[in-house]
Amino acid sequence: MAAMLQPQIILLKEGTDTSQGKAQVVSNINACTAVADAVRTTLGPRGMDKLIHDDKGNTTISNDGATIMKLLDIVHPAAKILVDIAKSQDSEVGDGTTTVVLLAGEFLKEAKPFIEDGVHPQNLIRSYRTASSLAINKIKELAVSIEGKSLEEKKSLLAKCAATTLSSKLIGGEKEFFASMVVDAVLAIGNDDRLNLIGIKKVPGGNMRDSFLVNGVAFKKTFSYAGFEQQPKKFVNPKILLLNIELELKSEKENAEIRLSDPLQYQSIVDAEWNIIYDKLDKCVKSGAKIVLSRLAIGDLATQYFADRDIFCAGRVTEEDLQRVAAATGGTVQTSVNNIIDEILGSCEVFEERQVGNERFNIFNGCPSGQTATIVLRGGADQFIDEAERSLHDAIMIVRRALKNSTIVPGGGAIDMELSRYLRQHARTIAGKSQLFINSYAKALEVIPRQLCDNAGFDSTDVLNKLRQKHASGEGANYGVDINTGGIADSFANFVWEPAVVKINAINAATEASCLILSVDETVKNPKSESAQGEAAASAMGRGRGGPAFRGRGGRGMRRR
Amino acid sequence: MALAFDEYGRPFIILKEQEQKARLRGLEAQKGNISAGKAVARILRTSLGPKGMDKMLQSPDGDVIVTNDGATILEQMDVDNQIAKLMVELSRSQDYEIGDGTTGVVVLAGALLEQAEKLLERGIHPIRIAEGYEMASRLAVDHLEHISQNFEFSVTNIEPLVQTCMTTLSSKIVNRCKRALAEIAVKAVLAVADLERKDVNLELIKVEGKVGGKLEDTELIYGIVVDKDMSHPQMPKRIEEAKIAILTCPFEPPKPKTKHKIDIDTVEKFQTLRQQEQKYFDDMVQKCKDVGATLVICQWGFDDEANHLLMHRNLPAVRWVGGVELELIAIATGGRIVPRFLDLTAEKLGKAGLVREKSFGTTKDRMLYIEHCANSRAVTIFIRGGNKMMIDETKRSLHDALCVARNLIRNNSIVYGGGSAELSCSISVEAAADKYPGVEQYAIRSFAEALDFIPMALAENCGLSPIDTVTAVKSQQIKENNPFYGIDCNDVGTNNMKEQNVFETLIGKQQQILLATQVVKMILKIDDVITPSAY
Repeated sequence: MAAMLQPQIILLKEGTDTSQGKAQVVSNINACTAVADAVRTTLGPRGMDKLIHDDKGNTTISNDGATIMKLLDIVHPAAKILVDIAKSQDSEVGDGTTTVVLLAGEFLKEAKPFIEDGVHPQNLIRSYRTASSLAINKIKELAVSIEGKSLEEKKSLLAKCAATTLSSKLIGGEKEFFASMVVDAVLAIGNDDRLNLIGIKKVPGGNMRDSFLVNGVAFKKTFSYAGFEQQPKKFVNPKILLLNIELELKSEKENAEIRLSDPLQYQSIVDAEWNIIYDKLDKCVKSGAKIVLSRLAIGDLATQYFADRDIFCAGRVTEEDLQRVAAATGGTVQTSVNNIIDEILGSCEVFEERQVGNERFNIFNGCPSGQTATIVLRGGADQFIDEAERSLHDAIMIVRRALKNSTIVPGGGAIDMELSRYLRQHARTIAGKSQLFINSYAKALEVIPRQLCDNAGFDSTDVLNKLRQKHASGEGANYGVDINTGGIADSFANFVWEPAVVKINAINAATEASCLILSVDETVKNPKSESAQGEAAASAMGRGRGGPAFRGRGGRGMRRR
Repeated sequence: MALAFDEYGRPFIILKEQEQKARLRGLEAQKGNISAGKAVARILRTSLGPKGMDKMLQSPDGDVIVTNDGATILEQMDVDNQIAKLMVELSRSQDYEIGDGTTGVVVLAGALLEQAEKLLERGIHPIRIAEGYEMASRLAVDHLEHISQNFEFSVTNIEPLVQTCMTTLSSKIVNRCKRALAEIAVKAVLAVADLERKDVNLELIKVEGKVGGKLEDTELIYGIVVDKDMSHPQMPKRIEEAKIAILTCPFEPPKPKTKHKIDIDTVEKFQTLRQQEQKYFDDMVQKCKDVGATLVICQWGFDDEANHLLMHRNLPAVRWVGGVELELIAIATGGRIVPRFLDLTAEKLGKAGLVREKSFGTTKDRMLYIEHCANSRAVTIFIRGGNKMMIDETKRSLHDALCVARNLIRNNSIVYGGGSAELSCSISVEAAADKYPGVEQYAIRSFAEALDFIPMALAENCGLSPIDTVTAVKSQQIKENNPFYGIDCNDVGTNNMKEQNVFETLIGKQQQILLATQVVKMILKIDDVITPSAY
């Protein structure tokens, strides 16, 4: 474009696609809007799900913004930023992934006419940043703390938050049931940061209501050898020995070779091997443990030996499960059977092998240290359970977040409307262009209630006007969309609550992303491999956050790859 | 996927390989999904009920299966469409959880989808439909609880259990001798049931089949049948009061696991080695004899030399018995599995009243019966039948019956079959619908209509006029306020299912309704399908 008549200077490799200037900004905005449109319909309790096939023929049915964005496999460099913010929202707070994408898309959409009219993107960026920090301060101001309440009260408050998250998911019909389950699970692990202490086991079959929470650990019956069925399947207050060794008849040393010159010594070698394993087994039995678990195999010999002595054993327990058992029962995983003292044995109130659906489960209930919980999920189809798991993950994250930063805001679009009102009001006090930009930022925030209405099939303009009026009157700060009647209602009173941190993070991330996209005015596309280029471009843009500096060396920066 | 263009007419490439992806969205996606679901339901519709027909399925490698079991049909159909796969999984999860009613659940889901399609055409939001369905399903489940009856059974009075299993079996090809099979199933379950914990481990029931004989020859053996024969043809074929040594070690010289080599450099050494080997065999057999075993069952094989010795010492033996069977034998006979000869003691022997080898017809096949065991916690159902397909289908049918019996032990509530429970639910749901304000009312009413589909399919499969019959029965139910009227499929003369003794388990029925609703909700919630169009 630039080289009209001057002699052409070939700077980049042939076939490289460059585009720059205003057109590029607009084009990037369009791409982002297109992506935001893809997840638009999943927002809110009346949001729909997406069914996505991937190339390998796997199918996912999901309502979770981050999951959908990941599966869409987006290659457009600018649009990729949206995927990243959805991911970051997911890892940071776990919920609100659709919200963040939608907000970013809307901010950009609002910016587009200004860019087309020739406003410098940096002006927009500055105003957007101001607006976002104002909005965040306002959220902090509006948030209600749940600190200092009694445990019972806190529990029900947390359950409300979890229920709000779950209401948009497939398992929304049973949200109370799952919300209380999630809260119990999160409270069970206490302040420990290890999320993997909450196990989620999926068993196809049954219906959602058959899902249950085990206050301890549950895992599927492992592969067992003959003799297993003769072991007792229920213990009360057993001692549990956790091992990380093989209990099998095997060669002790890998590459050892024994040379015998006297055939009569043959038996002694055989005996020696048997003695080793019997010695190990004997030590296990002497420890007084009634349940022996090992991460490695427990062979048929050991199984029968234990069966003879009324001990339950399970080999090839997965690392994760074993860790959880260790945490729950207070035992320690041993790598040797020597010196087993009482302190390293775990215990629980009841151990039982129980039939769940088509599987048999080993369930450790009533564990003393109680720092783990296992949710056994049931459901009609694999995709169903997968989606339920994702939804529960969101809910668990939310509850944990709410537990730490115990402030909440009203959901259902109420907080967004209130922010929008506040920003509009603030904008009026500003002289200059910035007023317009902050106004448009405020307008963009309204996308959340608008989309909630659209997804529910209500007249969004009508509802939005009612909401604006209510919020403007000064006393309706908690009013949001009433999804059941198509009117407006006090979200706070209806227990539609979200942790404040979700909103703060969403607004922050969406603003950052849109500012980033606005600041890019040139993309250089290397012709070689499209997918590799997409990634390179995205990461290069990530680095070039500085804006103007990026413009100068954009081309070179790319080509280094 | 529709392409987006920027201001200069260049297309965006947003998704990877965008051009090759097909995308369906909005109402179109829902309609497409619904029709896929309905197609699956239509296939199964004719298999429902006592007069339902069977399907013949041929697998890619030529195996033929004839069955009437919904879960099996769908599994074998190998469907490709994702929504259809959901229906398959629906049926499978009913199979896992309840074991019976796998056809009914799919037919119900199909009916619900069909109703939903009509509502969608009227412009009702899919989620509202799904929510209405969910409310309705809860109403229906509560109503089922309300009309269910508890029935008492005990180990001595198994009649009610048998009746329920007969209902299950009546729709199968084996209904000729459903009475006999139902009794077998109930006795088998009771034998292994832990009535105190209400737990039944179906793994303790072994179902074995052999081609030949009649279906009537199917029997329940309080013990184990192993498809093996004595290791030596001259060993005794019948052992009474057998003491069984159950071994997991071969009749061979033991081998150390560590690599080893024996240096043989003189003739003498070779001789000793040879002698020692023989001594091993001798010792092993002697050890078995010493503890008083009269039968040896071994997981591994043994040398011909050992075999000869065993024969010589008059110790019958069976070799190559699988691990699972070995375990069942151990449980049944109260013996312990012994990993090496040194550990063999008299206490570890299992005891069985009678062990016999039985040959069938003119074939050379023989099977080993281990009966009258010390502990009859493991049983075998031995199926006979004209051909392999028949036996396979009988196995599946018996599995259903076993599951039903198990469910009744867990929860002894029943509802009446023949479509009566569905009709009764339909009536109560429809009545309750009027109380709900909002769009959901329509969905609830449609749910009630969908429930009518099951009796209708039943009537249709029996050759009755579906609408006439269903309406007649429905009005009868309302008039006499009796939820026991159903479709008289077998032309008995009365349509009171209580008199006909057609029972189904309450949990089975509830599960059907809940699962079908769940899957329908999932299907309705999808408004966007993205597929690589190469499919």
